[in-house]
Amino acid sequence: MGRWMAFLSCLAAVSCGRQDVTAPSSLPAVRYEAHIVAGTAAPQGVELTNPYKADPAVAKKGALMFAAMNCDGCHGGDASGWVGPSLSDQRWRYGGADSEVFNSIYYGRPKGMPAFGGTLGVDGVWTLVTYIRSLPLPSTVSTESWLEP
Amino acid sequence: MPLVSRVAIMACIGAGVLLCGLAHAAGRPGPAGEDGDWKMPAKDFAGTRFSTLADITPQKAPSLHPVWTFSTGVLGGHEGQPLVVGKVMYVVTPWPNVLYAFDLSKEGYPLKWKYRPDVSPNAIGVSCCDTVNRGAFYADGKLFYNLLDGHTVAVDAATGREVWNTRIADVANGETVTMAPMVVKDRVIVGASGGEFGIYGWVKGLDAKTGQLVWTARNIGPDADMLIRPDTFKPPYEGGVDVGAHSWDGDTWKTGGAPVWGWVSYDPELDLIYYGTGNPSPYNPEQRVGDNKWTASVLARRPADGALVWAYQFTPHDNWDYDATGAMILADLKVGGKDTKVLVHFDKNGFAYTLDRAAGRLISAEAFAHVTWAKSIDLATGRPVLDPDKQTGVSRGNVRGICPSLEGGVSPASPAAFSPRTHLFYTSTNNLCMDYAASRSTHLKGTPFIGANSPYIAGPGGNLGAFIAWDAVSGKKVWENKEEFPSWSGALVTAGDVVFYGTLDGWFKSADAKTGKVLSKFKVGSGVVGNPMTYRGPDGRQYVAVYAGIGGDWALLAGDVRSDDPADVRPPADFMKNIARHTSQGGMLWIFGL
Repeated sequence: MGRWMAFLSCLAAVSCGRQDVTAPSSLPAVRYEAHIVAGTAAPQGVELTNPYKADPAVAKKGALMFAAMNCDGCHGGDASGWVGPSLSDQRWRYGGADSEVFNSIYYGRPKGMPAFGGTLGVDGVWTLVTYIRSLPLPSTVSTESWLEP
Repeated sequence: MPLVSRVAIMACIGAGVLLCGLAHAAGRPGPAGEDGDWKMPAKDFAGTRFSTLADITPQKAPSLHPVWTFSTGVLGGHEGQPLVVGKVMYVVTPWPNVLYAFDLSKEGYPLKWKYRPDVSPNAIGVSCCDTVNRGAFYADGKLFYNLLDGHTVAVDAATGREVWNTRIADVANGETVTMAPMVVKDRVIVGASGGEFGIYGWVKGLDAKTGQLVWTARNIGPDADMLIRPDTFKPPYEGGVDVGAHSWDGDTWKTGGAPVWGWVSYDPELDLIYYGTGNPSPYNPEQRVGDNKWTASVLARRPADGALVWAYQFTPHDNWDYDATGAMILADLKVGGKDTKVLVHFDKNGFAYTLDRAAGRLISAEAFAHVTWAKSIDLATGRPVLDPDKQTGVSRGNVRGICPSLEGGVSPASPAAFSPRTHLFYTSTNNLCMDYAASRSTHLKGTPFIGANSPYIAGPGGNLGAFIAWDAVSGKKVWENKEEFPSWSGALVTAGDVVFYGTLDGWFKSADAKTGKVLSKFKVGSGVVGNPMTYRGPDGRQYVAVYAGIGGDWALLAGDVRSDDPADVRPPADFMKNIARHTSQGGMLWIFGL
């Protein structure tokens, strides 16, 4: 129990772990391939990339955080989908770029994804992004067939 | 004399005996009046879902056919039921909770008005089990109903204008509202969902004229919060000062759940409202040692001031999410040869309970579904005789073969019906079991407080559901119509001795109330999770109405039925691979006639 409390209070403190990650000072960007651009110029913003890249140790930490923060309560164990959609099937309602997944967790999204940024901080959110990125792609379900073989 | 007949006769005396004579004549269209309306969710305060309309009989039912249909404009679980008052039908949709008023006196039933409340989409993310609504209640010229984001509204039935709007629940705290209100004696009784979010569960009484909050009663916690007064509270079994706090370790009752999302009934002679409470939070039982009173219980309160008169706990220290929010049906039955005022309740835990509704003592409790978590219910103590191998918790790892599953022997979303003619109860049932692996959960406001993974398996026999007729005196099934899929609709029974129910794969059926023989069926385009109702139209004929639109818990468990969101594509459920072959999401209102 003591270890869990230490872990959770660490998350809330933002500054635990890496010292060199800072909060964005201007609006994070959203990659606009997924959106229609009026005219030819996509809006500019600060491009965010995951400082942890694909670090497996961070992904493992993110897996623990995913359960500790009750993400599995809505997204299912292993993020396979439950009340909220699957986070492992590469189908993204709000975009799958680093910035977009970061925004979804940090600021929340319409239809009820809560904003976790204030509780987890920038570092905590990137840890979760690293975990989500590490999830293996499940087999695709484009076609569901009931035909007799 | 049965409660229902007595109420009907009182209404008759009010309306003039001659009119009532005409209304009760079988087969002849009668005047639209008290008899032909459906003003509250379960038809009457006793919760019977029984109609005295008898035009539709087992001989005539095979010619039932759709006469009208309307798309509600919303895709998702359509629980609840329409209301009919005079010449108008009222319909509440799932979120965003639009209220429609259809003019039944004009061809095509055009709308009189459409009320579109302001309701926050943030409530969607805090709704565990689809954004359903279980209906409105008509009283005093107004429609009363709840919005998902925790408001109760009163809408003028003639004009559709909002009369008052009261915020009752806090979405940021994990509270949403799906239940239909109960309106009795100038009180609007409402409660909140949130057993998956660690709420401190409650019911509230609002003033029906102004919407002002009159009383708040917690379902768990110390006596003062629970509105327990020493001279008033007389539980039939365990009691004691602050038992709602002492039956929890430490202050775990503060995030203990006890949501109220089901049905409320009322006995005007005893002046008691009856309702069930849902599960304790979190699902992992080792985080809340003790009986966890009064979760998974039936509570009897005085509507005017909310005072608790008695309470009985169906599932002490619930380990399995056995919410007790299902219908509490009030009936007068002959028990041991004596006319007895009872309350009958089909619980998620698989037992059908018959209680004395004046004092709450158990008369009988028999399994109506396959049950493994308990061997029986001890009538002397009121407590279940547990199978210790089916207890769950982090220390127990994955516990296998618990029946019923988390969906219950019947879902509280599928209210039963009672016929004072056959003296039988009619209900959907599920035939599902589960494995259950608990995990530690931390309460973080606005996020799920659960701690369990519970995959389902089919129960014995292979059919995932059934619609049954039940004798609550003998505790036996009288007949059973097995269904391929879990049965999730409510029940309707009429004086024509016909029952109505819908299936998850989208069939709306009528059956002989005495034998169960299916008389008619029609594919209504999407799974039926709502409750059929019946009324007499302005043309004097009897009609039956029902929603189609699969959802509720099936929005989580049968995600492959969805087609509307390419970002949310789910594989079929292991235990129910074929449902999407027969239904997608929908949102239709159907009316059937002879």
